[in-house]
Amino acid sequence: MLGPIAGILFDGFAYGMLLFLLSVGLSVTLGMMNFINLAHASFGMLGGYVAVTLMQHFGWPFLATLPAAFVIAAAVSMVLERVMFRRMYRATDLDQTLLTIGVVFMSIAGAAYFWGTVQQPVAVPDYLSGAFVVAGVNIARYRLFLIVVALVIVAVLIAGLEWTRFGAQVRAAVDNQRMARGLGLDVDRAFSLTFALGSGLAGLGGALAIAMVGLDPGFAFAYLIYVLIVVSVGGLASIGGSFVAASLLGISDMAGKYYVPQLGSFLIYLVMVGILMWRPTGLFGKR
Amino acid sequence: MASMAETLLELKSVRAGYGDAVVLDDISLQVTQGENLAVLGRNGMGKSTLFLTIMGFTRLTRGSIEWQSRDITRLASHRRARLGLGWVAQEREIFPSLTVEENLTVMQRPGPWNLKKVFDLFPRLAERSRAMGNQLSGGEQQMLAIARSLMTNPTLLLLDEPLEGLAPILVEELAAAIGRMAVEQGTTIVLIEQHADVALSLTRRALVLERGAIVHSAASEELSADAATLDRYLGLKLESAGD
Repeated sequence: MLGPIAGILFDGFAYGMLLFLLSVGLSVTLGMMNFINLAHASFGMLGGYVAVTLMQHFGWPFLATLPAAFVIAAAVSMVLERVMFRRMYRATDLDQTLLTIGVVFMSIAGAAYFWGTVQQPVAVPDYLSGAFVVAGVNIARYRLFLIVVALVIVAVLIAGLEWTRFGAQVRAAVDNQRMARGLGLDVDRAFSLTFALGSGLAGLGGALAIAMVGLDPGFAFAYLIYVLIVVSVGGLASIGGSFVAASLLGISDMAGKYYVPQLGSFLIYLVMVGILMWRPTGLFGKR
Repeated sequence: MASMAETLLELKSVRAGYGDAVVLDDISLQVTQGENLAVLGRNGMGKSTLFLTIMGFTRLTRGSIEWQSRDITRLASHRRARLGLGWVAQEREIFPSLTVEENLTVMQRPGPWNLKKVFDLFPRLAERSRAMGNQLSGGEQQMLAIARSLMTNPTLLLLDEPLEGLAPILVEELAAAIGRMAVEQGTTIVLIEQHADVALSLTRRALVLERGAIVHSAASEELSADAATLDRYLGLKLESAGD
């Protein structure tokens, strides 16, 4: 009896960590600038394609593609931020939504053009494939790897936000943008860096996601929904909130598919509706 | 102190407001080094908007602003701050998710003011240095707002009603601190204050704003003796000012 439950918790947590990496950047940047970037998951997809391409065409080892996915997604997002998004900070929510959903469509069409609409095959290195059993629980090596990577990133992010001056400046800008500017903080630059960091993490999440959930041009949309759920449930600009929300949603999604397959992947939405009715600003949100 | 006082800030025929609404019109003023200025006027006369305009947070549609003879009319707010303009907002606007110490150090810039100095000025803040910004009393928030701005080592400090809503004993304490920081570190102050008596005692010159325009300008000492003018523009006796 304990075996399946622990197994679901483990698999769900691993899936949750994937959702965390894909969404944490949006949570912080949305809280900071109120900029609604629906194209966030597109950076995740880009990271995925970067990893696949480097492995298949350039023979890179899987692990080496992960930092590359981070760097390229961050760099591309920075360019988009400079040339497009920056002009829209003071625009209405609707304008921001329309612009960034347009970017999502373009990213999907672009991915289909360059890589085709088929699922991308990915070969995980031997040391990350397979599973072992601990106390009756089946532990997939890759999922364990995913969890370790995500936990390290959570620790680094929280430490960076709590204990560095840049982290304090980001928190100050999230709290009160005008006052931060009035004290001399270049909020646009801080945002640009945070935005690139968040997009880079999504890129890393995308690269890590392929082996677990596959990759095709629909990724940008399919995961946009999950990313938005994590952000709204976790609360804006809360790394801890995104972490808890992503874990909760990952686990309930797995549990739903296992115990009530009739509901299928619907349970995750029920959880979202329930939590938001209880706490409209999300678990850790202030607004 | 230089014998030739330098002009720090100069507004020339400034018209500004929010969106299409004009709040300030034809504002011209000069602030020179060491010459503290009081900005008086009833509520809603545009005093805070004046500070917001100097910091670049309103829409300026006419005139110009110069800082140490350099045109800053279109300069981004954070750059104005870095040139030496300090601003303490009326609503205090403490960062709630930062500790007291983080509020102080987050935008700290080198100069005579540092943590030790502001803790000397406001010992209460030293005791509360680990508290979060949203756990402070009104008086502590006000001290922190002033101290936070001092940590950026401004040449000119815009203080928007620093004494508002404070208990009388705190008003005295804070007014004394403001006087000290002006004298000891040579920080020039522009002060918006409902407590006209306190404001006039801390400054050398004063101007009165009414409906977005400067309607009176005088030496502070002179104005504090001019009960008729004070009564006319502020409509209150000095003793009960701000109550």
